[in-house]
Amino acid sequence: MKVVRAMALAFLLVLGSASLLANLLAPSTYAEQFRELPNAPPSSKHWLGTDDLGRDRFSRLLYGTRVSLLLAPVAALSSTILAALIGGVAGYLGGRIETTAMWITDLFLSLPWLFLLVAARALLPLNVSPHVSVIITFGMLGILGWAGAARVVCASSRSARDSDFALLARASGVKPARLFLRHVLPNLTPALFAQFWISIPVFILAEANLGVLGLGVAEPLPSWGSLLRELENYSAMGSQPWVFVPLLLLVAVVTCFQLVLPKTELPA
Amino acid sequence: MTSEQLMHEVLLSISVSAEYAKKSVLRKLTFQIKRGEILGLVGQSGCGKSTLALAVLRLLHLKGGKSFGTLQLNGLDLMSMSERQMRGIRGKEIGLVLQSPLSSLNPVLRIGTQLAEAWHAHRRGNRQECRNALLESLANVSLPPEEEFLRRYPAQLSVGQAQRVLIAMAVLHRPMLLIADEPTSALDVITQAEVLGLFRNLSRQMGVAILYITHDLLSVSTIADRIAVMHQGEIVECREARAIFTDPQHAYTRDLIAALPCVPAFPATKELYSTAIKSHAAGRG
Repeated sequence: MKVVRAMALAFLLVLGSASLLANLLAPSTYAEQFRELPNAPPSSKHWLGTDDLGRDRFSRLLYGTRVSLLLAPVAALSSTILAALIGGVAGYLGGRIETTAMWITDLFLSLPWLFLLVAARALLPLNVSPHVSVIITFGMLGILGWAGAARVVCASSRSARDSDFALLARASGVKPARLFLRHVLPNLTPALFAQFWISIPVFILAEANLGVLGLGVAEPLPSWGSLLRELENYSAMGSQPWVFVPLLLLVAVVTCFQLVLPKTELPA
Repeated sequence: MTSEQLMHEVLLSISVSAEYAKKSVLRKLTFQIKRGEILGLVGQSGCGKSTLALAVLRLLHLKGGKSFGTLQLNGLDLMSMSERQMRGIRGKEIGLVLQSPLSSLNPVLRIGTQLAEAWHAHRRGNRQECRNALLESLANVSLPPEEEFLRRYPAQLSVGQAQRVLIAMAVLHRPMLLIADEPTSALDVITQAEVLGLFRNLSRQMGVAILYITHDLLSVSTIADRIAVMHQGEIVECREARAIFTDPQHAYTRDLIAALPCVPAFPATKELYSTAIKSHAAGRG
């Protein structure tokens, strides 16, 4: 199992590095058009062919990977910080604060996730620059994705609050805020790390869903979501199997993220 | 001795009741502890011994209980103190040692960090002053006063070492009173004897009074000046350790003594216990 984990991690590292070096590795920019070659099949110059606007698919895939693979962790970090604040503090303080926070969390969890994302994105400006659309898309994922993690963190925080070591810290005269920061919070790290890690593939998939619906990252900036929109053209799929590459890459990346996290123990 | 001298000698005066969800656990439990005295509090599991420990520190609400009555430490009325004032008492004037050494230490923090947290709760000083105080506290409990030891995590300690760390933390500010809540119940007999000896030495060297809570009448009798026997939330007998064995007054005390373990191949073990206690008492005298 360690070999599989190592391979998955190596794959993610290679892919992440390649996307970071897209400026050097890509044969062209993501927006450059080869107007004489729209919908071209793979060739030595265009490894994955070109799209209907004549843009090099391989280059767009590299740049799109950069957007999805690097910004999903940022969104996951935002949602994990929110979960730590809401769930961690609620679990530590307990009582009515915990009840109210968990009631709001339950409300968030009971809402249909995709519908909520689509509705929230539709409420925000659609006619924005590509870079602003990236911030809106991943910012929204970060802000809306805290609820599940908050529940887990709240339970961990409550458990640490009721532990013998917290009792002993109180009996030593440690102040409540310091007790939370220095004794409880470090014990939430494994749960927070696990929640952060499992949020990344969830957010990658969520961005892909929004992208397919045209609510994700705006053109011409590519992301896996916008690259998957090509699959809407059912008639071309049989004759152009290379358009499936972004989908295969998405599946591989999501699987690798799941494989990297140990199943039997949480990382300390 | 005049009544004024006697009053001055009393460190802790308790008369408390406690309940969990309206179920009474301590029923106007009353006793006193003198300065530098080791008082053993003995009773079977569930009789309210640990409840008393938390009630003295006014931390019973953390376990869903509440206490009322009077608690006077060195003339201070603990019951009328605010939470902020109580934080100034906890750890500084009253130290606590809990039953389970490994679960009482934070598993993700180094020993040095945990001791430093307890030090910073009541002292302001630079890193070096703190470090010196921590190393001195380790030496006080016969642990290696080394930086390497402070860098260890609880999982890297034996149970006996972890219990000594807890004791070091409890006496870091040289409190007037140390509450030890079944501190040897998780230890093997040899480590148990070492820890008991450590409590006795701390009491002699620092003059700290110890409320030693246990269900083990035999072990506490080796260090206690007096023993209070607790039954169903009340103190049924509180006398000198020797008198508890030689002349038990209450039926429950007699039951406790009768239940003491006896080596099958040597039925006179209990007489030996009695002799050991007598000689120990003579030695202290």
